[in-house]
Amino acid sequence: MVSRLALSRLAPVLNVARASSSAASRRVFRGARPYSTTDNDNTMTVRDALNVAMEEEMLRDETVFILGEEVARYNGAYKVTKGLMDKFGEKRVVDTPITEMGFAGIAVGAALQGLRPICEFMTFNFAMQAIDQIVNSAGKTYYMSGGNVPCPVVFRGPNGAASGVGAQHSQDYAAWYGSVPGLKVVSPWSAEDCKGLLKSAIRDPNPVVFLENEMLYGTSFPMSQEAMSDNFLVPIGKCKVEREGSDITFVGHSKMVSHCMEAAEALAKEGIKAEVINLRSIRPLDIDTIIKSVKKTNRLVIVEGGFPAFGVGSEICAQIVESEAFDYLDAPVERVTGADVPTPYATNLETLAFPDTPLIVKVAKRALYRTN
Amino acid sequence: MIRLELAAVSSAAPTFSRAFSKGSSRYRQLLPTTNSPIVSNLDFFNSIQGNEQIPTYRILDGVGKPLQGAELPEIDREFARRLYENMQLLPTLDNVLYNVQRQGKISFYMTAHGEEATIVGSAAALELDDEVLGQYRELGVLLWRGFTLDKVMAQCFGNEEDNSGKGRQMPVHFGSPTHHFHTISSPLATQIPQAAGVAYALRRTPSRRSRSIAACFFGEGAASEGDFHAGLMLASTIPSPTLFIARNNGFAISTPSTEQYNGDGIASRGPGYGIDTIRVDGNDILAVISAVREGRRRCLEQGRAVLIEAMSYRVGHHSTSDDSFAYRARAEVEDRKRVDNPITRFRLFMESNGWWDADAEAELKTRLKVDVMKAFKRAESLKRCELGELFTDVYGGEEPWNIREQRKELVGLLKKYGEIYPPWRNELAKFKNNGKDLLN
Repeated sequence: MVSRLALSRLAPVLNVARASSSAASRRVFRGARPYSTTDNDNTMTVRDALNVAMEEEMLRDETVFILGEEVARYNGAYKVTKGLMDKFGEKRVVDTPITEMGFAGIAVGAALQGLRPICEFMTFNFAMQAIDQIVNSAGKTYYMSGGNVPCPVVFRGPNGAASGVGAQHSQDYAAWYGSVPGLKVVSPWSAEDCKGLLKSAIRDPNPVVFLENEMLYGTSFPMSQEAMSDNFLVPIGKCKVEREGSDITFVGHSKMVSHCMEAAEALAKEGIKAEVINLRSIRPLDIDTIIKSVKKTNRLVIVEGGFPAFGVGSEICAQIVESEAFDYLDAPVERVTGADVPTPYATNLETLAFPDTPLIVKVAKRALYRTN
Repeated sequence: MIRLELAAVSSAAPTFSRAFSKGSSRYRQLLPTTNSPIVSNLDFFNSIQGNEQIPTYRILDGVGKPLQGAELPEIDREFARRLYENMQLLPTLDNVLYNVQRQGKISFYMTAHGEEATIVGSAAALELDDEVLGQYRELGVLLWRGFTLDKVMAQCFGNEEDNSGKGRQMPVHFGSPTHHFHTISSPLATQIPQAAGVAYALRRTPSRRSRSIAACFFGEGAASEGDFHAGLMLASTIPSPTLFIARNNGFAISTPSTEQYNGDGIASRGPGYGIDTIRVDGNDILAVISAVREGRRRCLEQGRAVLIEAMSYRVGHHSTSDDSFAYRARAEVEDRKRVDNPITRFRLFMESNGWWDADAEAELKTRLKVDVMKAFKRAESLKRCELGELFTDVYGGEEPWNIREQRKELVGLLKKYGEIYPPWRNELAKFKNNGKDLLN
C-alpha cells in the first residue's frame, strides 16, 4: 500500500500533458451533468448560492445573524456576504475585530443563549485559533449539559488549498472536524449543494462546520427549478450520486468532485463507466450509499484535497473493508489525496501537490488493471 | 515634517503621571485615529508608576467596621442573615464533599474556601435572571438562586437526578437553565468570549434588552488565556452588557499571581479595552455587592462590558488533585485564614448591628451540617441515569445512523448477557430501571 500511495503522489511528474487544474476549476459545469432533468437555464455561482441561502434564512428566522471579520461593510473577504448588511443592518451582519478565538466564542455564546449565528472564518486555516471553541465548546456542550443547552451555530468559510497561498493557508480540515462526535461537517461542491446544505446547516439544532472552497466560489452550476425555491433543503448526512456507472466508483468532496466528473468523462471515451459520488457530508458519513455503489462496481477510488494520513479517504477505506462491501472488491481501495508535505508555495510544486483529473484517470485504470 | 515642527512648538507639554491623564488638545487633528495630544517630551508610561497602583475599593475593615465615609449598600437584618447563611453554607458543603472525595466516593472536588464573600456578594448583587457563566468555583451563585443541595449532590455523584449533565461531567461542572447558569466547561476561559456572545444575544432579545446582563467569572490565571483578551475586546467593541468578574485569589493552581502578570493585576487591562473598571476587596462582601451592583448598572446603561477585579486569597487547595503546601507555606495559609476571613469579617459587622449572636451561629452551623449530610446520604443511595442516556444528546434532532448502530449493538449484548451473566446483571442494577429502558 505504501508504494502504491507513493506512486500516486509521484505520478503527475511523469505526466507531461496533463490539464491545468486551475483552469478546470473555473469550468462552467453547465451541461456536464447529463442526469439533470431540468429544462430551465438557471445557473448560479457557488458564491451567489451561499449568499442566497443566508439571505433566505435571515428573512425566515430573526435569530439568524452573521458575524466575522469584514463580513459587513466590506461584504466579506470573498464577497460571499455581499449586500447582506444593506438588507439586514449592522445588528445582523456584524463586523468583528480580528480574533478568531474571540468571535467564534461570541458565536458559541450567542448560540447557547438562543440565537442562530453564522460565523464566517476568512479561511478555515485561521479557525485553528478558535478550534477549542468549535470542538470543545460548540461540539460538546449539548452532551455535557445533559441536553440542556443546544448550540445551533454554523462555522463557515473556505477550506483546503486555494492557489499560491503557501502551506499555512492551504490545509483541508475535513478530517479534523470529521473526527469529533457532536459536530456535523459538510463539504459541498455545486451551487445546489451550497444553497441546500447551508440552509439545512442554519436550521440544524447542532453546530455545523461548513467547508467551502475558494476555487469554486466563482464557478457556475445549473440550478434546478426546485433549487431556486426558498424552501430548498439538501439533507445533511446524505451523499449524492452525481453520475451513475458500473465499472468503478469515485468518491470525492468539494472541488475534487469536479475532477472526478472530468475523469469519469475521460474514461467514458474509453468505454469505462465510472460512478461519481459527491460526498456532501463528512459527518454523518453516508457510508451506505458508498457500500451500495462498491457492491455494484467492485472498485473504489477516493479522492480528496487533504493530506493522506488519517484522512477522509482513510476513514472511508476503513469503513468499506469493515463492511460487507469488502467481499465485493476486485481491487485494493485507492486513495488519491493531497501530497504528504506542507503545501509548497512554488506554483509548479503546488500543482503537483494536489490531485488532478489525469491522476484520477491513471489511478482508476490501475484499479481496473488496465495499463497504458 | 509638519508634525515634528508643531510638536516642537508645543512647549507646555503635559507630563504623564498615569496612563490616563488628560493633556493639551491643541494639535489633535493631526493624527487621524486618535485624539491624543502632541507632546515634545519623551515619556514612557506603565500601569505601575513608582508605587502608584490602582486602589482597592472597600467598605468594611478587617474587624467588620465600616470605613470612614464609606457608603453602605442597602442592607437590612433579613438580607444580611441570608448573605451570611449562604457564606456559611459554602464551607459546610465544601468540607463534606472534600472528604467524600478523599473517601473515593466522588472523583474530584473544588472548594471555595476564602472566596465566599466574592461569590455570594456577586450573586446577591446580580438579578436572578442575569445569565451567569462561571469558571468552576461559583457554586455559591447557584445556591443563592435556589439550586438545592440535592441537585448539588446529584451533579457530584452523577446520579439519576443530575440534570446538570446526566453524570457526564466531572464534579462541580454545574449548569442549570432555570437558574440562568451556563454549564461549566473544563477548558479554561472559554466562557469569557462566550459571555460576550450571551450578552449580545440578550441585547438582541426584546424581552431581555436593557434588563439583563451576562456575568462572567474567571480567575486571574484564566485572564492569561487569549480568550480573556478576545472576550473583553469583543464585549467592548461589539458592545454587549457583560460584567467580567475576575476572582484574583493569588494562585492559578500553583502559579502565584506575581508570576501571572508584570502589570498592575487584571484591573489595569480594563482601561486598555476602554471599559469601566474597578478593583474591589473580594473579602468584603458589602464592597463586592456595591461594586457588582454599580458594575451591573453601568453594563446596562452603556450596553458595554465592565470589569471588576475582586482581590481575595484561595485558602483551600486548587482542587482535590492539588496539594498546595508543596508551593506555599502552611503558616501563610493559616495566617490568612486568621487575619482576613471574609466570613468572620461579615459576622463581626452583623454582631455590631445586633443582627447575629453566638446562639444564632451555633444553630446555623448545626442546621447546615444536618442539611448537607442528609443530602449527601440521599444522593449516595440513588441510582445512575437510565442506561439509554448513554446515547442521547450527542446530536439534537434526528439521530445519526452511527449512534443508532451503537445503541443496537448494546441492546443485542444486553439481550444475550444481561440476565444470565452475573457481572452484567449486577452492573445493570445500578441504573435507573435496571437497563430495561433499552430493551423496550
